Parts: sequence; structure tokens; C-alpha cells
Amino acid sequence: MKTLLWRASLRYLGRHPWQTGLSMLGIALGVAVVVAVELANESARRAFDLSMQAVTGRASHQIIGGPAGLEESLYARLRRQGAAPLSAPVVSGHVTHGDYSLRLLGIDPFAERRFRNFLGYAPDGQGEGLLRQLLTRPGAVLMSRTLASRLGLRVGGSLELLVSGRKRQAVLAGVLHPPPQKAAAMTDLLVADIATAQELLGRLGRLSRIDLILPEGDRAAAGAVEALLPAGARLTPAAARARAMQEMTRAFAVNLSAMSLLALLVGMFLIYNTMSFSVLQRRELLGTLRVLGAGRRDILALVLGEGLLIGAAGTALGLLLGVLLAQELVQLVTRTINDLYFTLGVSGLFPTPAGLARGALLGVGGTLLAVLAPASEAACSPPRAVLDRSRIEGRAGRLIPSLAGAGAGCILVALLLLLPGRSLVLGFVALFGLILGFSLLTPAAVALASRLAAPLLGSLLGVFGRMAVRGVRASLSRTGVAIAALSIALSATVGVGVMVGSFRLSVQQWLEATLRADIYVSPVTPSNTGNEASLDPALIAAIRSVPGIAGISQGRPANVQSGEGITHLYAIRMARGSYAGVELLEGRPGTVWPLFDREQAVLVSEPYAYRHGLHAGDSLTLDTDRGRREFRVAGVFRDYGADHGVVNMRMSLYRQYWDDDSVYSLGLYLEPGVDADTMVEQLYALAGDRQALRIRSNRTLRESSMETFDRTFAITNVLRLLVIAVAFVGILSALMALQLEKARELAVLRATGFTPGQIWGLVTTQTGFMGLLAGLLAIPLGLMLAMLLIHVINWRAFGWSMDVILPGGVLAEALLLALAAALLAGLYPAWRMARTPPALALRQE
Amino acid sequence: MNGAGAGPFVRFENLTRTYRQGACRRPVLDKLHGEIRRGESVALLGRSGCGKSTLLNLAGGIDEPDSGSIFIDGVCITGMDEHARTLFRRRNIGFIYQFFNLVPTLTVEENLLLPLELNGWSPAKGRRRCRELLAAVDLSDRAGAFPDQLSGGEQQRVAVARALVHGPALVLADEPTGNLDADNGRQVLELLDRLVRDGQCTLLLVTHSRAVASRADRILTLTRGRLSGVEEGALW
Repeated sequence: MKTLLWRASLRYLGRHPWQTGLSMLGIALGVAVVVAVELANESARRAFDLSMQAVTGRASHQIIGGPAGLEESLYARLRRQGAAPLSAPVVSGHVTHGDYSLRLLGIDPFAERRFRNFLGYAPDGQGEGLLRQLLTRPGAVLMSRTLASRLGLRVGGSLELLVSGRKRQAVLAGVLHPPPQKAAAMTDLLVADIATAQELLGRLGRLSRIDLILPEGDRAAAGAVEALLPAGARLTPAAARARAMQEMTRAFAVNLSAMSLLALLVGMFLIYNTMSFSVLQRRELLGTLRVLGAGRRDILALVLGEGLLIGAAGTALGLLLGVLLAQELVQLVTRTINDLYFTLGVSGLFPTPAGLARGALLGVGGTLLAVLAPASEAACSPPRAVLDRSRIEGRAGRLIPSLAGAGAGCILVALLLLLPGRSLVLGFVALFGLILGFSLLTPAAVALASRLAAPLLGSLLGVFGRMAVRGVRASLSRTGVAIAALSIALSATVGVGVMVGSFRLSVQQWLEATLRADIYVSPVTPSNTGNEASLDPALIAAIRSVPGIAGISQGRPANVQSGEGITHLYAIRMARGSYAGVELLEGRPGTVWPLFDREQAVLVSEPYAYRHGLHAGDSLTLDTDRGRREFRVAGVFRDYGADHGVVNMRMSLYRQYWDDDSVYSLGLYLEPGVDADTMVEQLYALAGDRQALRIRSNRTLRESSMETFDRTFAITNVLRLLVIAVAFVGILSALMALQLEKARELAVLRATGFTPGQIWGLVTTQTGFMGLLAGLLAIPLGLMLAMLLIHVINWRAFGWSMDVILPGGVLAEALLLALAAALLAGLYPAWRMARTPPALALRQE
Repeated sequence: MNGAGAGPFVRFENLTRTYRQGACRRPVLDKLHGEIRRGESVALLGRSGCGKSTLLNLAGGIDEPDSGSIFIDGVCITGMDEHARTLFRRRNIGFIYQFFNLVPTLTVEENLLLPLELNGWSPAKGRRRCRELLAAVDLSDRAGAFPDQLSGGEQQRVAVARALVHGPALVLADEPTGNLDADNGRQVLELLDRLVRDGQCTLLLVTHSRAVASRADRILTLTRGRLSGVEEGALW
């Protein structure tokens, strides 16, 4: 580009520091949100990979069994038969030490070297000694020195572990010094000899799995192993198992990414808005440059160059903010994964160049995309038109019907996109199409609203009111964009707010309906590890004999293999009062319950039915300890507990097919007149030191479930607040620019006799009107977005159905926010115009 | 420019331009014919809204007629595409406006350098040329000032210098004194006269002032969309 044009452009940006700065901040916040979410997602993914790598090592395949694991003898048989020369038995489980949740990995140190070789991380010369300790010292465990220092432990010191609520004593036999890239994966890992682990975890004679290294692509080797497997055991590629686990969090990650893209979209709108202003403000200058002989390409390059500069600076700042924000978000993401999916011990941030580069590309690319329209507008208009303000507004006015038509078309296409299929991505495309369509309709809505409001405001505020409203209509090329940007940002907050509010209320109602027992009892375990824990049978017997208990339901969660990966099974012995708590979405109680109680039938949750395309009457295949079996789907029930879905099976049927008679939780139905809190205390006293229990009354469990829900949506709320922040900054900048552009008009009014107070009144009436309009327009779009989020996105992502519930606060909040941003935006121009002598303002123009 | 000397330098043929006013169209130029000779100073007189500025913009290639042709030194600019017209304007035409239209973010010297840079002059050669022109308009000491630091008269002198700095064959001036007091107006007109003659340029000047017009070689009057009267100027 020509040097002088570039210099003129740079100085223009420098002379409008507020506008330039706010544009950069808008982009920076948009980019920061995207980068932070991207990094948080990626870090969680990487943490998962690291954790899996640490425990899987170089295994190519794994032999896994049912909920109770594998018989130890299987490993010996495999070795004896020579079917798997490279194999290693593993026992793993989750334990707690104080507030820390840890993974205990039991290994056979002799078979281990080709798989993980933890002892290779022993300090120089200590390998043999550590091996001896592991094999001979009761309760000996190893851990990384980072973990030892985090737990405040020294070598030789003992540590108390809580396993399924039972106390166990272990000894820190030594610390490992893994290289940095492995250290992150070992921040929650305890390594023990297999016999020690079996003892600590209470799984004598059982293995969690057998790791194998099989020659790549050697089907015969795999076949030889499979031939030796008992019913219920299964050979599976190690990566497939990891993929199945990670797949569980996919929808969660996609939703977060979409939410962050919404922030960027709002940011892009605001960039478009700012750059449009910047072009319009300089229409005379650009016209002059064209008259002087600057070509279209020069003007295009000039405006794009400015956009690129603002975009690059904003993106750089955004990357920095993004990394800072990601430090917090990764904790929220990890916590949500821990609450909902599986235990993820690693929660560090792993910023990757690729993640940052993607953020940078989105920021700069998004900015250029947003600038393209105003840049080509400036470049393609003939020089005379660039000079002519009225022509711009005239054209904007003439464009209204076409824009409205295009907007309606966009909305129609978006709605058509929703008709077929279950694609989540198509759902998001429709969502963004709806936003685009609505924004194209905005100028028509503004023109109409201005026409209708002029007489009303005129009668209320006299000439000020009429001037304010007509000013909005007269500058439609700018006000239309500003109002569209504000209403879109606000609608996003309304949509997400209504969605979260509806979801919360639905969960609350569901909990009230489902939790029928008065007291719930389970062992103290890390979240999502209930399938590894069980209640002491003697304790269950003792609880049964406590007077005042009318009925008991029993539950046992288990992860079992099915054709499509892992199925979360919940074996349940229902008490009489439990049946009413199950809301059947498919199937009538009269037919469902007899099937469930007596036949080879199960109930599937709504998300499970959605994911697997199941309906009442269909059948479902599960790998049992007796081999692969089919179960009839008796009905589909409402369940917000897990988005990956759950299959409910009666306890007796479960025990018939799986060798597992443990019970994880009890639901106690008290006799009339028995106080739940007193009973809770009585049960705690009964458990004593035998087993650490979590005993919660119905109310406490509901409260803690809602706490989990709120924690899960904490990240959504953070993102929603960030979208609001982006919108607020952008609106401030847009409306401020609009008013500053009117400096000459306002100076003429001052010269005519308007007092500074009257100017202030005029400016704030106008920005207030625009804010109110944006707020009002945001409500229908926000509600449409909420419907789409609830009925399409949520359904396709998680398979949850729910009703739209309108929380009044969200709508009022949107209106207030719009008014506050708009009024605040009017303050600076009003203050500046009130202070500047009219003559100076006229001369500056 | 080809420098052909015999024919008219600027020729308007059957020029029509209408503007939309609500639903109907109002003709501003109606099958207008006219010619300007090489090196001639022509003043275009007429009442407000009669189409003077429109004719000037058409001559400068910054607006397009509905029909008809404009030839400048034998080249039909109305047949050119936008890009060719821009390049033609860049090389051959200088504009002066009533409201100066200087680039506010460039200094006086940079405003003059801009057309030269667009025409591919080397910076050193361009700066030498700027110095000459600034000396000619008596603003050598304001080279580093920004437009908003100059008086109206000074700004218009910069605008005159900028219009002539790249040696255009045709200078188009739209009410160049309309925003100046009498003294400054006279100064600017004298300057324009001297520089146009020194540079052997052709000048088309739009004004509604008969006094200003009287300085031209010839006066054309625009009424009802046509050049209706031709007078010889007095003193220009």
C-alpha cells in the first residue's frame, strides 16, 4: 500500500484512541474466550491422554471383564499357554487421602518393564531397593516426588487411605523422579505391587485388566488370546477404550466451543460495526482520496489493513488474556468432567502452539471477515458516492426491504436445516443462521419502531423526543448495525439464561419426583467411582435391623461392555415407594413394571435411548459374565443424572448375569413419624469406624445435587458473562462513535441555543431509545435461541428433553443491560460536547 | 496526454444526468454540448442547483452521466471502466473544493506528496517538487503543520498546491473561494491563475460569482441543464 495512505490511516487510528482501543478490547475479549475454552478443552483432553498413557503405557490391547473384573488365574493361564508372551496384570482403583483423590495402580514389577517401567524413574541406584520394598513390605507404595511433596510425605512415612469408605494403611516406600513430560500424568498416581493393591482395594484374587502387547495387525495372535477368554472377558484395543471414555465428553466440549464461538461472533459483529463507523466517519476523506486518484484496491487495502492491524493487536492481547482465563477455566472444565463423567486427576494447563495458533487465526480471520463488508463498501462506491452522505443513507433506506427479505430467507433456511437428522453441528449452523437472519431484519424493525415511537416520544418529550428518534431513523446505516449488534449479544445472554434456568428448574422438579427415599446411604468415594465401591454387607444387615425403617432400596452402578462401547448400568432393588419416582417417557406403568420386575427386561434413560436409537419394545445387547445377552427395553425414563445415559436393571437380573453381589447405595424409607435427621445421626453412630459413609437426608441430597448442577453450569455462566462483557464493550464503542460523529450537528444545536444540559438530554434520549429498542428486539430472538438450545442443541448433544420455562429475571436483566450500556455510551459524547465550545466543534468538523 | 493541439481539449457531447427525487427523476444536465480549448480558463456560472458541480464531477470522472460522452484531449473518459478512469484522473486532473478536503491526518507536505506517491514519483523527487509548490503558495514554513492548524486561506492554498503538484493537464475548481473572505479569496484566485498559467493547465472553475467568473478567459452559463450563454472573460 502507498506509504502516505498507510500513514494517514495510522494517524486516524491514533486520533481516535477510544474507538480504536475499544475495538481492540472487543476483539481481545472475543479471542480470549475462544482461546481459553480451546485451551481448557485441549488441556482436559491432554490430561486424559496423559492419565491414560500413564496407566496404559505401551499396551496395544487389554483384556477386560465385567464389573467385578477378571479372575487372577486367567493371567497365569495366558502365560502358561504362551498366547500372550508380552502381558501384564493390572489392578487399579480410586482411593482418597485426606482431601485428595488418588489412583492406585497395582502392577507386577517383573512383567511390567515393557509396558510402563515405573521403576525406571527410581533415583540413580535405588531401582533394586525399591523393587525389593514393593515386593516385600506390606502396604508399600511409590509416588512421584511432586505428589509426595504435595501430600507432605517423606519416604518411610505411612499414609492413611480411604478405600470404599474403609481405612487402609499404606507406606511410602520411595519416590520416583519421572521426566517432566511424564510427571504431569503421575500427579495423582500411587504405584504398588499387585498383591498390595489387591489387598488395599479389597479385591483379592481379582484383576482389573490384563495389558497386552500384540504384534500390530496380527489377527491370529488376537484370536489365540480370545480363544482362552472366559465368558464375560473381552479383548479390546487399548486405544478404543480410551476413545470410548473420551467420546463421553465430546458433546460437553462441543457445547463449550460453540458458546465460545458465540462470543467471537458477537465480537465480529462489533468489529464490523466499528469498522463500518470508521469508514462512514471518513466518507469525505475516502472520497477525497478517490478523487486524488487512489484506486479501489488502495482503499480496500487501506481499510483491510486497518482491520488487520486492530485485529492483530486485539488478537495478541486476546491470546494473553485467553491463557490467563484458561488457567481458571481448566479448573472448571476438569471439575465438571469429574462431576459428570470420570475422575480426571490432572488439571494443569497445557497451552499448545496449535491451540494458540487456532485462536490467532480465528481472531485475525474473524476481524478480516468482519471488515470485508465495510472495506468493499468503501472501495466499490464511486468517488462521488463516497463523498455524499445522503446517498449512503438513501441507499441504506432502499436496502431495507432486500435485507429484510434476505433475513427472512436466512431464518427459513435455518429452520429447514433443523428438520432432518440429529447432527449437532447442523444445529449450531441453524443457530448461527437464525442470528444472522434476525440481524438482517433489524434495520427494518428499527425503521418501523422509530416511525411508531416518534409521535409517542414527541408527545412525552417534545422536540427532543422527536429529534432523538428521527436521528436514529436518519442514520439507519449506522444505528441499524449498532442495534443489531447489541440485540444479538443480549439475545445470546437471554437464550443461554433461559436455557440454563429451564434446565435447572427441570432438574429440580425431576429430583423432587425421583428422590423418594428419606435417607440415602453410600460409602465415601471420589465422584464417579461408585462402580468401584461397595457397602459392607454386615453394615447393610445392621441397617436393616434398625427400627423405624419401613423399606429399603438398593443400588449398584456398574460399567459393562456393550456392542457400542461402555454402558453405564444401574442395578436396583426397588422399594415399594421407588416406583412412583420414575417418570416413564415411553411405556405405560401397567406394562413396564411387570416386565422390569419379572422378565429379562431393562429400563433405559432418555439420553441412552436417544444415543442408541432405542424405544420401548426394542432389545439391547450387553456383555455379561455369562456371555453376550439380549435384554428387552421395557420403557424409557426421564433422567438428568448422566448425559451418557444409563440402563436400569433389577438387582436379581444383574446378579444372574454378573458375578457381583455388592451394593453401593441404599435408599431408606422411614416409617411415619420418624425424624430423618435423627435417623441420620443414628446411622452414623452405627457405622462407627467400620466404614466411612455418606448419609444424606432427601433434602441434603437434593441440595447437593443442585450444587453439582450449578457447578456444572458455572463455566456456561462464566462464558455468558464474557459474552455480555464483549457486547458491553462493543456497544459502548459503537454508540459512542455514533454520537461523536454527530459532533457538528450537536455543535449547530449548541450554537442555536441548546444548553449543555439539553444536549445531554438529547444524546441520552437517543442512546437510551436505541438501547431500549435493542433490548426489546433481543427478547424474541433470545427466546427463539432458548427454544433452539433446549429443543435442538440440548437434545442432540445430550438427549435430554425439557420444557421451556421463562425466568422473568433474565428478560429484565437483558433490558436493564441494554439500557445501561446505551446510557453509559451517551455520557462521554454528551460530556465532551457540553465542554467543547460550539465554534471549535464546527471548525474541527 | 497526447498533446494534440488543434481540436478542443475538453468536449461534452450530448451529456445527460438525472437525479432521483423520490419516485421521479429530475434532469440536471440535458443533452449538454460544450468545448474548452487547451490552456483556456473557463468559468462556469449558474444558480445553485443548476448542475455546475455535477458537470465538474463528470469532467473529473468521479461521476457518470446517464448518456453522452466526455472527451479530454481526445480521450473518451465516459467509455472507460472505473479503474481506467481512476488512473486517468490520477495522472491528468487536479481538484480544488470549496471546503478544502485536505487529509486531516497528513501534514501539509504529506498532503502534497500524496498525489505524487500515487503517481509513482520517487520520494526525493517528490519532496523537491513539494518544496517548489509550497514556496509558490508561500507556505514553506508550514510544511510540517496539520490542516487543522492552518487558517481557511492557508488550507485553500495548500489545496491549490495539491491540485497542481503533479502537473495535471486539467484543473477543476468547485467554488474555490466560496468559503473564504474577500482578501483570502483574491489571493487564492491570483495564485490559481499564476500556477495554472505557469503549468500551462486548462482550468474549469465553477462559481456563482460573476466577479470571480470575470477573471476567466471565457464564461459559460449553465441554465436548464444546458450551456446557454458564452461570454469572453475580461482580465484572466
